[in-house]
Amino acid sequence: MWLETKKKIRITKQSVTTILYPVLFGVLVAVLWQTQVLHKMIGADTFTLPLPGRIFAIISDNAPEIMLNVRATVIVALGGLVLGSLLGYLLAILATMFPKWGVGGLTVVSAFNAIPIIAIAPILNNLTKDFSKDPNTRSMLAKMLVVMIMCTVSMSINAYRGFTELKPFSLDLMTSYAASKTTVFFKLRVPNSIPYMFTALRVSVPGSVISALVSEYFAEYIIGVGRQIRENIVLAQYATAWAYITVACAIGIILYVVLLIVEGILLKGRR
Amino acid sequence: MDVAEKSETIYVKEMDDYKKMVEISVENLGVSFTDKEGGAPVVALQNINLEIMQGEFISLLGPSGCGKTTLLRTIADLQQPTSGKISVRGESPREIRSQKKYGIVFQNPVLYEWRTVRRNVCMPMEMMGIPKRDRTARVTKMLELVGLMEFGKKYPHELSGGMQQRVGIARALAIQPEILLMDEPFSALDEFTKEKLHEDLLRIWKKTNKTILFVTHNIQEAVFLSDRVVVLSPHPGRVSAVVDINLERPRDLSIKSSPEFNALVTKVRNSFEGV
Amino acid sequence: MEKVKKALTSNKMVTFVWVLGLIGVWEIGATVIAQSKRTPENVLPHLYQILDSVFSDKLINSTQTALQVVLSNAGITLIRALIGFLIGIAIGFILAFFMSMFKLVEKTFFPYLMIIQMIPILGMAPIILAVTKNIDSSRIVIAAILTFYPVATNTLAGFKAVEKEKRELMYSISATNFQIYSKLMVPSCMPYFFTGLKIAAPMAITASILVDTLQGGGGLGTMLSQSLKHAMSIYVFWQIVFFSAIIGILSYYLMVVIEKLLSPYKRIKKAKKGVSVVGD
Repeated sequence: MWLETKKKIRITKQSVTTILYPVLFGVLVAVLWQTQVLHKMIGADTFTLPLPGRIFAIISDNAPEIMLNVRATVIVALGGLVLGSLLGYLLAILATMFPKWGVGGLTVVSAFNAIPIIAIAPILNNLTKDFSKDPNTRSMLAKMLVVMIMCTVSMSINAYRGFTELKPFSLDLMTSYAASKTTVFFKLRVPNSIPYMFTALRVSVPGSVISALVSEYFAEYIIGVGRQIRENIVLAQYATAWAYITVACAIGIILYVVLLIVEGILLKGRR
Repeated sequence: MDVAEKSETIYVKEMDDYKKMVEISVENLGVSFTDKEGGAPVVALQNINLEIMQGEFISLLGPSGCGKTTLLRTIADLQQPTSGKISVRGESPREIRSQKKYGIVFQNPVLYEWRTVRRNVCMPMEMMGIPKRDRTARVTKMLELVGLMEFGKKYPHELSGGMQQRVGIARALAIQPEILLMDEPFSALDEFTKEKLHEDLLRIWKKTNKTILFVTHNIQEAVFLSDRVVVLSPHPGRVSAVVDINLERPRDLSIKSSPEFNALVTKVRNSFEGV
Repeated sequence: MEKVKKALTSNKMVTFVWVLGLIGVWEIGATVIAQSKRTPENVLPHLYQILDSVFSDKLINSTQTALQVVLSNAGITLIRALIGFLIGIAIGFILAFFMSMFKLVEKTFFPYLMIIQMIPILGMAPIILAVTKNIDSSRIVIAAILTFYPVATNTLAGFKAVEKEKRELMYSISATNFQIYSKLMVPSCMPYFFTGLKIAAPMAITASILVDTLQGGGGLGTMLSQSLKHAMSIYVFWQIVFFSAIIGILSYYLMVVIEKLLSPYKRIKKAKKGVSVVGD
């Protein structure tokens, strides 16, 4: 009995330290920041690196305007994410159906991964000039396309692996049932691809936020969290810029946590 | 039947003069694990008493969960006892380990995939600071012993499973250990490769005179190789019998069809409890 | 005949056909644009026009041709990217090392390593420039941040993937910590480490170009913005687009080549190699 109690104590101690150490570190940084020791360490002043209290004050004071920009960024990020992931999945299906040509296509697509967003964003800006008379709408489309390209790449490569990297003998088992290609696809390949889809999303969810922010720099219409960071710095309103950075980080973290929750529910019992 | 009857001796603590030959002595050993979820501790081994003689080939035999690997790991100082005591040549397993007197072979050959066969065998000697010339000579000798002379320059992935396991054995022997601890070394190999390695292992054992502690779940394998078979039973892990294998040596595969061999196999099989 | 058929259906051929296809799509687009726009070169010029501008010896400012402008500015950008990349590698590797050595360090920093890949570092580029007040150091800082976390997460995953038996074998001959790391842990984590480098290399370059666009201090990004604002020939923009794409892809393959040179043997476990940025 005493052994059991002792063990329970040890285990709670374990989980406490898992939370305690990072929280202590975070508090330490916050304290250094608030007491301006951090500023001395990296040689900054409170003008370019405002105190945390001030940043949060700005966020709450400008909530409606910030929300407007958040909406613009989130629409671009999520729209591009959905479009790109669907397109990527479709490309992966095509590549699975026509392996010979599909694999070559995916090799070419994967090369897009290494192309800087900065090179793509201005091209798409120019290409979408005629799409709409409203600069906001056409900017939105251009930004969304940038995000889409980024997400297409990671989804197509991972989903293709999901369709083809089957468990040993599972295909043989299907053959022994004389299953048609369609049956194999829906009963075997699609379920097998789901964990791979989440591998892709773990890369493309943070990626979509980054691409959205960066494409805003080049967009014609001035809106979005990323653009506001830049505009406020140009105007030397560093505290406001920091407020938008905080918001941008929050968007990234929230979207990722949502993804993890969805993954946890859908892949329950798989891992 | 007669022969088998006579061979059944469970070792209890013996007279002092006998002790000189004892290599490993396990007294009242108990090992339990606490799992992470916070359940009751699992008793892996309970009240184990065992004496292993110098130069002896002894097998720990049992189904999965009987604690045979745990016993080997505790002797190797990879696992700490909860109660009781192990002494190896009058010293603790930790002291023996730091004197580098153990050679270990696992089920998985765990070779270093970025090193050639030669450099794999060489590796433990590098750690021990053995001069380079001695190392080279010893590697050659070991590869000769396990029959892999021509494969020194190959990388592990270029070898078959049986060959990889031979490299593992060569590596374990290269540091000239007193005791060779083998944890189901052949259980992942096919029957033909396994039989070949059995014969090789007996030959190596005879040549090097090591004490070998061999963990297995294969009855035939244990009987064919060992001087004594320690039969372990699960829940909790305990010694249910120790069977002397007084088959003549040197042994070859032909004894497997002899009535004596089969009688011993049956005897070992019948000594399991609660499986 | 058989050989010709084989060559036509080889993988290289397939890739080649795909590239040709992409070029075709581009050219069709360019032809359509050329007929419907007043300044088609701003939207989508023909590829031969871009190629022509590369080899043209027409000066686009007082001293340099378009290609000279691109290359001289590329030097500035790439050297900063490289410095940041190397610093990031060092920090990432050292952090992973300490995290695998000391449980306390792992517990303290691992959550932050997870969070940092959720937040848009590139979006923070302007503020880092504002804080450091120096375009050069902010380029290096951003490239270093973007490099350090894929390297750290992947290297840590590599340390953790070392089989238990391999460590126990080391333990059974009482190897020292230094020996365990130098002979076992570091060589085993190399494929994971290089996975991190392959992710980080194009990112470091992207970061460096992006930081350029924030201030007029020279570099590919600066030229790119100026060209877009028609302060110089628009073909500088197109050349930079292709140049940065090629450099991004080459940086990835450079890592592949370095890995091959450093580890001439083949790894058995290929499946385990592909760790994403996130790790496990």
